[in-house]
Amino acid sequence: MSKSVLLCDDEVHILRAAEFKFQRAGFDVRTAADGLEGWEQILARRPDLLITDWQMPRLDGFGLVQRIRAEESLSDLPIIMLTAKGFEVSHEELRAHWGVRAVLAKPFSPRELLLRAEELMAAAAEPAAPVTTAGS
Amino acid sequence: MRSMKGATLFHWLAGCGLILAGALCASALGPWTDARLGPLPSAAAGGALIAFLFAIAFYRCRWLNRRSQIYLESLAQMDPMRAVDPADFPRLPASHPLADAARRLQDLFVAVGERLRLLEQTNAALEVRAIRAVQEAERIRQVFMGLSDPVFVANQYGELVLINRAARELIGLKDDEPAGGPLAEAINAPKLVDLMTATLRRPCGSTRAVELEWHLPGQPQRWYRATACKTGDDGRDAGVVAVLRDISDRKALQRRHAEFVSAVSHEMKTPLAGIKAYVELLADGDADDEATREEFLRVITSQTDRLQRLIDNLLNISRIEAGVVEVRKEPRSLNEILDEAARVVRPAAEAKQIDLQADLSPLYLGVAADRDMLLQAAINLLSNAVKYTRPGGRVVLRSRMSDDEVRFEVADTGVGLSAEDCEKVFEKFYRVKKDKDMASGTGLGLPLTKRIVEDVHGGRISVESVLGEGSTFVVTLPAAGQRAVQTQGERL
Repeated sequence: MSKSVLLCDDEVHILRAAEFKFQRAGFDVRTAADGLEGWEQILARRPDLLITDWQMPRLDGFGLVQRIRAEESLSDLPIIMLTAKGFEVSHEELRAHWGVRAVLAKPFSPRELLLRAEELMAAAAEPAAPVTTAGS
Repeated sequence: MRSMKGATLFHWLAGCGLILAGALCASALGPWTDARLGPLPSAAAGGALIAFLFAIAFYRCRWLNRRSQIYLESLAQMDPMRAVDPADFPRLPASHPLADAARRLQDLFVAVGERLRLLEQTNAALEVRAIRAVQEAERIRQVFMGLSDPVFVANQYGELVLINRAARELIGLKDDEPAGGPLAEAINAPKLVDLMTATLRRPCGSTRAVELEWHLPGQPQRWYRATACKTGDDGRDAGVVAVLRDISDRKALQRRHAEFVSAVSHEMKTPLAGIKAYVELLADGDADDEATREEFLRVITSQTDRLQRLIDNLLNISRIEAGVVEVRKEPRSLNEILDEAARVVRPAAEAKQIDLQADLSPLYLGVAADRDMLLQAAINLLSNAVKYTRPGGRVVLRSRMSDDEVRFEVADTGVGLSAEDCEKVFEKFYRVKKDKDMASGTGLGLPLTKRIVEDVHGGRISVESVLGEGSTFVVTLPAAGQRAVQTQGERL
């Protein structure tokens, strides 16, 4: 069964390029034109991976991430964020506090984006290491 | 006094000497007079002589006494506080036994008078300086109180001792309320208190500065740069003066600049992202068929054009703002420029089935215009109207004469703008959110139009809009010369 990815971006050309790349790689791709539409799609069906832009109308990428992390059933959803804001966004904070697995700056490489997505999917597919306790 | 006593004694001794001499003469001449006149007349003559001599001595004493009295009365009438002219000083005759003392007294009076005159001059100068010092102090107080920059002064114990009016307003103190007490209690700004306290611990002449925010109830947040300086010496007269300079405008400018750079960065990266992505897809051979390859190339071309437009608009705005753009204003017909703008935009309107109408004034509307720039402004307004009007809608371009001005307007039946959007639509990179769904844009078209109309041509631009019903952009320009009253027909 193919992995599903949700792409959120208000730039139709960016959306189309990423959609094209991921479809060719065998992903089940859905797209949303802004954060609110993305949120509705996530609620309708949870994707295996979310790739979202930062700056979008109605609900921006950060607002979408906040909503996702506030929902317990979505707290482990892997997220990749694309942004044209560069150094204005603290990548460390996004990773440490909001669980964003990767932050890619625009202009981005679809090839690299796909590579990062496949790495995340592979990491998610691996069974969790057994928890060992002292003395066991 | 001693010499006066000596003189009086001398006169008495002289009188006694004369009497004794008279007695001796009378006794010497006694035998001779007795022989001739008998003893009685001889005694009478001697007595008369003695009386005569007494009389001389008496009148001499009276004369001396009288002269002394006149001298003393004249002296008493003199004002000891006034300078003395030696010619006006009372004198004693040279034969008067006190004449020398009187001359010394005169010299003394003159010297004292001269000293008094100098003292009076010094006193007058001091009074003038004192008055000036008071006036100066009052002027300094008024300047200090009237300074627009808030000023706080604290003593060596860290107590507030002096503040001006601006500082009073800042800490919310009324005019009649006394200012004082420990800094931490008197000033509700910990950062400023820390600055003044820290400066107080440093050597005299030390200066420290910080930037701080100040929240005043019911007012927008202000930013200040506080500079504190240790004054006086390191002993009892030490103190600290803190001057606050309002840097809110500079901060706002920095924020706008940062927002502008951020917006430019974002607007440039977005088409670049498209170009890079599609070039990579083509390079990786992801496009399997010719149609896909053509689709990708079209995207690359459109994103390149978008980037080009963005850079052009940005450069044009920057040049106009910097005043380095070459403006060639000449008398032009506004209707001719509008006519051409309508011709340029008409194909795009027809492609969207939008009815583009040109309702131009029959009058010759003369304007002093840079033709290319004004044409660009008109095209921008018309293109926007076409972009944000749905198929089947209408865009009307009108021109009219209005007193000593000419105006043109672009009215559409498009999506319209909210009141908030109307206020911000001329700001750089401001894009109405729903507009992004309808058409691409750089967010620089209307700001550029505003610069062209207002900065280059000295006109005005405004917008009236009803959300969902349409917008009307109105441009007013100064009419150029007498030709403005001629009709187009007459001109031709």
